[in-house]
Amino acid sequence: MNFGSEALSRPLKRRSFIASMLATGTLTLTSCGTDDPRASIRFNQSKPEVVPYFRDLLSQFNSSQRTVNATHEVTAGLSAAFARNDPPDLGCLNYNFEMARFQERGALSDLSDLPQQKMNAPFIKQLLDLYPDYPGRTSVLPYSMMGASVLYNKDIFEKHSLSIPTRYSELLDLCGELSDLGITPIYSTFKDAWTVSQGLADYCVGGAIEINQHFADLRELGSDFTPDSAVTFSKAFTDPLLRMQELAKFSNKDAANRGYGDGNLAFANGQAAMYLQGPWALPEIAKTNPDANIGTFPLPMTEDPEDLKIRVNLDLALWIPEQSDHKAEARELLAFLCQPELQDAYNESALGFGVRSDSPPTTDPRLKQMQPYIDNGRIYQGVSTAIPRTIPFENYMQGLVTGGSVEQTLATLDADWARLAQRS
Amino acid sequence: MTLTSPAKPRSDSKRPLPTPPAKRRRFEATYLGFLVPALICFTIAITVPAAMGIFFSFTDSVGFGDYNLIGLANYAALFTDPAIIGAYSFTIGFALVTVLLTNALAFLLAVGLTAQIRARVALRTIFVMPMVISGIVIAYVFNFLFSNTLPTVGEYFGIEFLKSSLLSNPDLAWLSIVIVSAWQAIPSAMLIYIAGLMAIPYDLYEASSLDGASALGQLVHVTLPLMIGYIGINIIIGFKNFLGAYDVIVGLTNGGPGVKTRSIAMTIFTGFERGDYAYQMANATVFFIISLIIALLQLRLTNRGQVK
Repeated sequence: MNFGSEALSRPLKRRSFIASMLATGTLTLTSCGTDDPRASIRFNQSKPEVVPYFRDLLSQFNSSQRTVNATHEVTAGLSAAFARNDPPDLGCLNYNFEMARFQERGALSDLSDLPQQKMNAPFIKQLLDLYPDYPGRTSVLPYSMMGASVLYNKDIFEKHSLSIPTRYSELLDLCGELSDLGITPIYSTFKDAWTVSQGLADYCVGGAIEINQHFADLRELGSDFTPDSAVTFSKAFTDPLLRMQELAKFSNKDAANRGYGDGNLAFANGQAAMYLQGPWALPEIAKTNPDANIGTFPLPMTEDPEDLKIRVNLDLALWIPEQSDHKAEARELLAFLCQPELQDAYNESALGFGVRSDSPPTTDPRLKQMQPYIDNGRIYQGVSTAIPRTIPFENYMQGLVTGGSVEQTLATLDADWARLAQRS
Repeated sequence: MTLTSPAKPRSDSKRPLPTPPAKRRRFEATYLGFLVPALICFTIAITVPAAMGIFFSFTDSVGFGDYNLIGLANYAALFTDPAIIGAYSFTIGFALVTVLLTNALAFLLAVGLTAQIRARVALRTIFVMPMVISGIVIAYVFNFLFSNTLPTVGEYFGIEFLKSSLLSNPDLAWLSIVIVSAWQAIPSAMLIYIAGLMAIPYDLYEASSLDGASALGQLVHVTLPLMIGYIGINIIIGFKNFLGAYDVIVGLTNGGPGVKTRSIAMTIFTGFERGDYAYQMANATVFFIISLIIALLQLRLTNRGQVK
């Protein structure tokens, strides 16, 4: 070997320096654990409006606990956490198609043995049935439900002695009457695609057809689905969506330029008689006009008042991942959160509806008109929540209210669905 | 970037009989010290995930849990999916129009800003401002301008085409994205052009003006031929950047109205975020290959420029 001593030692020094740096780094990382002897679990809840609420609940839980310490995680984007095999120990999130993917593939543990499951209100089963569950499991425990229907300005209705429509023809008459009075019938915000799909589109389709049945039929077809099948979007959705286009015409002239924030502001200021938004808009409206006199009614899509239904979704549902190492501790936190007085207080504050059979009715004057429909199970889940979001359904609905063709859009949707069914 | 050129041997009188191989090795070690950390980071953060992504494009994975190898099925589905084809044709068309607009304007601005005018430096600073603002901020500001300011102006002066927002016009919404993307991209292209223009020897202009060339003649016969390399690089870099358009579109139209302005990057991202992981990985792989071809093209062009 020809290396001079200098030449040999320098790289060695450098190497040992790097090695010692790495070693220090590893040490620092591993010593990050806390001195707390309690089992540490992560609670994920990312609905922004209620983060402070749950933060308080969690600190109550932690101070009452000797064995478990829960940390609050507010990150969205669960796919990455599951992909890293590092999901939170207890999730409390919106129950939607994304969530359903995890349960369908068995990423969530079975919660069917929880005593809380027996308390579910009768209508809950219908809501859970929209999405396939892993065979033999009940992967989620419902926590809170949101009810959505047409928000209307009670003052305008009273001033012109207008009555709430219960048939589609009455709804058209009402819109015509309001237009004649120089009042914008519906305030629409087409710029934000989601407001179209969650409002107008969900109400129009959900009020006209049986959503659960439609998707159960599609699931049964599975990868055999083609645009020529017996059940297609073209066959089921054409009439409701044509009506949606008919109703969209009663919107404010500048609807295409208006977004969600504009809509809340305008409706709070009484610039329109109706606003097709969910209860999440109510706190925003109250910021502008705390005295806004607002009521709700289901959008009538047929000529039979018996068909009236409201749109609901499980705003929060609890689940524990199969991968969690702390299932028992997570269940303790779950039981804590599910104490009826805490759950009811949450619903009261977040404008939600109870999901237990013994939940008290809502006391919020703006939501009261929806309670009878919920009690009678006259509810549906929005079609927008049943279509995998890799299909840009929101954008399709936005396209329809800005002049797109129903026939073409539904043909595209059928083709999308067929492709998706074949590859999944 | 590359470390292929061998370092010049330094004369080192202190060491007796330094044999070349030992010397070489020692220099390489020093270089490796610089190279390895970057290489490790790049491998861990870029190469490995990319390779994993390409692998998953041949599976039916949803991003977690079990998966099966399904060969080229995702790719086969990709090339017949009108949503994907629509995204590609929108993005490529948008990138072409934007890159031309950007370069034409950037070139003209650069010519103007290298001329003997007053407040040249101040003007350059002002024109470079859009470069330092993040795309999503620019997009939201323009969103407000398009949805509120312009319709109000149109309403006030009775200008019909301004009354409704460009963003909500299914046939013209793409133009808004072209305008905003160009506005954002012009400064960096302009800076490259300014550098190029300043490198042109002044004698050429002197000689040509002695030969009786007009200002326009000088631009066409002196400036343009000498700038052609810069133009080529700017067009390729710009095209590659516009192909990846994402933040500006999210802030302006979010793919709407309908699906008129969905770019490739948006399709990939919304897809894998929403459970269509493997399929969009296949899409991303195709997109990667396209970008790679453009990058190689760019590399060739810059190398040729260096040889000159």
